[in-house]
Amino acid sequence: MKTARLLSVFFAGAALILGSAGCQHRPVATTQIPDREAATPKSPPPTADNTITSGGTGLPEKPPVIPGELIAENTNGPWAGVIANNNEDREKFKADTVYFDFDSATIKKNENQKLEEVANFFKNNTEDALRVEGNCDERGTEKYNLSLGERRALAVREYLANLGVDSRRVVTVTYGAAKPVDPGHNESAWKKNRRGELILLTPKR
Amino acid sequence: MKTLRNIVFIFLCGCALAARAQESVITIKKPAARVIPIAITGFTGEVNAVLKFDLSVLGMETTAPDKADYLISGTANGRLEGRLNQGGTGGAIFARAYSSGSARSQAHAFADDIAKAILETPPIFHSRIAFCRKEGGSTEVWVADFDGNGPMQMSRDASLVATPSWAPGGRKLFYTSWQNGSTQILEHDVATGARKVFAGYGGASFNPVVSPDGSKVAMILSKSGSPNLYTCDINGGNLSQLTRGRDEASSPTWSPDGREICCVVRSGHATLRKISVNGGESRELRAGGPTIYGNLTSPDWSPDGKKIIFTCGSGTFNICLVPAEGGDAESLVAGEDPCWAPNSRTVIFTRRVNHNRVLSLLDVPTKHVENVGQLSGSCSQPAWAR
Repeated sequence: MKTARLLSVFFAGAALILGSAGCQHRPVATTQIPDREAATPKSPPPTADNTITSGGTGLPEKPPVIPGELIAENTNGPWAGVIANNNEDREKFKADTVYFDFDSATIKKNENQKLEEVANFFKNNTEDALRVEGNCDERGTEKYNLSLGERRALAVREYLANLGVDSRRVVTVTYGAAKPVDPGHNESAWKKNRRGELILLTPKR
Repeated sequence: MKTLRNIVFIFLCGCALAARAQESVITIKKPAARVIPIAITGFTGEVNAVLKFDLSVLGMETTAPDKADYLISGTANGRLEGRLNQGGTGGAIFARAYSSGSARSQAHAFADDIAKAILETPPIFHSRIAFCRKEGGSTEVWVADFDGNGPMQMSRDASLVATPSWAPGGRKLFYTSWQNGSTQILEHDVATGARKVFAGYGGASFNPVVSPDGSKVAMILSKSGSPNLYTCDINGGNLSQLTRGRDEASSPTWSPDGREICCVVRSGHATLRKISVNGGESRELRAGGPTIYGNLTSPDWSPDGKKIIFTCGSGTFNICLVPAEGGDAESLVAGEDPCWAPNSRTVIFTRRVNHNRVLSLLDVPTKHVENVGQLSGSCSQPAWAR
């Protein structure tokens, strides 16, 4: 009797293990950001201002920017259009802003649920895209914070990819520490600033 | 007898232990080089002010002639006639006249000659800096003389900018701009104001640094899925990925021979690493010491190749120095984001003063600091044209 019980437990366990191995969810290590192919820009590039002026005086009001060879065009994929041309909604996912620990880009366990809600939305709204903006508190040098902010935005993008949100729908922007929500100089302010903000992008009709 | 022997034995062990303990707590702190006392006479107004400032940037302090190691004298009325003499004996070192350019320019030229005679350093006082300046909720790129004179606004995007960097020769600036909504690297001709997008890949493109020979640009791109170090040619071609994987890279700086890049990699916490421009494994640049703490960030390799200056800290920051091959590092002064002058002796950096940002000049040997007082507003991320 005892042996039979043991054996059945063993086989049940083995079945479980083998079964779960088959369904194993392989986490995405990093999510590639696809190269943007050269495509006709939506609007004609600004004309070059060839006025030669001595440095400082006579600079044009807004110096023209001429698209160079390396300019990123629209992201590949079905959401290229909405990413290039959209209505922004900063309120939709405001409550889902993801917060980070100091000097960390790890998504904390208690932030999971927010991202699950976001992922559900995108399952049901197939035309929309998302921009994730990564931010830092002021306790790093600015160059360092640019990288850390981007890493935070990418962490959110990766997490959403694991939840089935196609990475081609998600663009990342880093702001370093340049856009605090709280200008204070204490932990209560800093923890609000270490964040990934999620901005819904819907097609312009 | 046995007790006495035991007591003596224990006593001797105690001495040995105390001696060893003593050895291990010795901290050798390198003393600052001596500030050089100088006297400046005969000049007035702007010329006097420029001479005084320039030489104080090099760690020289004005004092009475009888206490000075060196006597600087002359006149300036459209044409500057200057003399450098030994203090004490009054022996002549040189006498020179300067007639071209403005009074300010003549004073800078005289100061450069004095620096060369006393310190044997190359000239820096006609050089220029670029930096970011906060304008309400935006930041813009500005350039000015190294002492803050004649500031000129370069960008007018009412957006954000960061990390300005000069191409050698001081005619072109590269910087990070958010003017189209995400980070792109812009190339900006200072004289004409013409700009173009140099790099705007999918994801983030930021922190451009031109190689000392002007042929390549190092930058951080996140197109691989994580912020990594890349290089490309100055015309934008031959994009090459140097760091890989998840540990984010930031703030590259080139070796003077253009063969290596030192950058920051955050793997847990931030450390300095070196990597060949041809790729391969990066290796850690050891930069430890009793005064070094927190993240190591924002390195800049000296033009003479011998030293790397960087920032340590998280929250409060110190400017730190390490030999270029790695070794013991030392904190010099409070501050962040240092950039070498062409003389490999002076460093411009940012200080946080009442949460505002102020540009300051450090003389590395004497640790003397002067503020770039002519600039107003919150100025940061300076780059010295070399």
